[in-house]
Amino acid sequence: MKNKEILLGVLAGLIVLALVYLLVSLAIIIVPPQEDNRWLASWFLETTYNSERKELWSASPEVVTSILWDYRGLDTVYETSVFFFAIIGGLMLVRSVKIDPSKLGIRGMSVISKTVTKIVLVSIPVVAVSVALHGHLTPGGGFQGGSIFAVASLLAIVALGVGFLYRRGWSKVRLLGFRTMGLIIISIVIMAVFITGLTIGATGYIMQNQWKPWAPIGYGYLINLGLLGNVLYSGSLIFLNIAEFLAVSAGLSLAFIIMALPREELIKGGDLE
Amino acid sequence: MIDFSAIIWGYIYMVTIGIIAMTIYGMATRPNIVKKLILLSILSDTGNLIAVMLGVHSGVIKPPVFPGISFTNHEEVGSDVLKEFSKSAVDPIPQVLVVTAIVIGLAVLVFLGYVSLLLYQKYGTLDVRLLEKKIKGEAK
Repeated sequence: MKNKEILLGVLAGLIVLALVYLLVSLAIIIVPPQEDNRWLASWFLETTYNSERKELWSASPEVVTSILWDYRGLDTVYETSVFFFAIIGGLMLVRSVKIDPSKLGIRGMSVISKTVTKIVLVSIPVVAVSVALHGHLTPGGGFQGGSIFAVASLLAIVALGVGFLYRRGWSKVRLLGFRTMGLIIISIVIMAVFITGLTIGATGYIMQNQWKPWAPIGYGYLINLGLLGNVLYSGSLIFLNIAEFLAVSAGLSLAFIIMALPREELIKGGDLE
Repeated sequence: MIDFSAIIWGYIYMVTIGIIAMTIYGMATRPNIVKKLILLSILSDTGNLIAVMLGVHSGVIKPPVFPGISFTNHEEVGSDVLKEFSKSAVDPIPQVLVVTAIVIGLAVLVFLGYVSLLLYQKYGTLDVRLLEKKIKGEAK
């Protein structure tokens, strides 16, 4: 047993040495990092909000969100579906679980923890929604906002008990509905330009955001809201961020709620014995 | 003259790569599934850290967001201003890869959490050596 562990340790070291050799020999890691190996970064940084090159821009000063939902958007859609199926796979393992409100934990932790949690529970979702809505203007977006929101529900489960969330109407069906709604909004937004192009006989692409010289349909980037004047919404980015926020927050919250159910319910749900 | 920047960067890379080595070793040798999951999440986070570090170099510290733009303040920006801005902003591409990797890593972790939860409910242990025997029916 001891020899085997030593062998495995040596093997892990060898794998890592090979990894380091590859990274250094292919000049991916340069110590210290140099300025001249970032031409791709410069291209994105100079194009995403460049009003002199409107055939290439995405009308958003946030370069990460622009790449995520515009330049490399289809990849993100596939990664969203990976997320979707991972959660679905987890729920399938406990597929027949029934949430019985009378059996859920309602005691939670001490009064101090409960009070502090109730104060924090107001602010975390506000921050999450703000991060998601400002995804095309400041660092953040749907993924980040959804993850922050999931932290709030995890905190509520731990400090206040699962019953707290369930009595506020966070049922399995409703959370699944929110998540599916997010995915439906994403698919509508990415197909809208393509279908409009088909119906009026112009070129339009799946995942297209702004107009191109050869594909004149786009979401635009300014909307006039009366008192506020022109508001920057960066085309499809804000819709995709909101939809992703719905999908990620509802999916992760549901996963945490099911995981926190009492033991007997989980055994029944998993069809064990 | 000693180049301190190279020493510090080399130290950071050595530490992260050492963490990767330790997590791979731990996943191979620790028998408890929960410990394997913890090591797996540390491994993926260290990989993400290396990816983000590839985009940073000395003098480049700003986030890859053009400053001063909000919902109502959206003046048009030309090539010259953006060229200046791109010299001081970090590389956005590794960050893009990491954003999705984190959420998907979390979802996969939740899935593996469900699997280990059900394994514990059925067999009463998360020790892989005991699990092997129990699944074969050799131990109770």
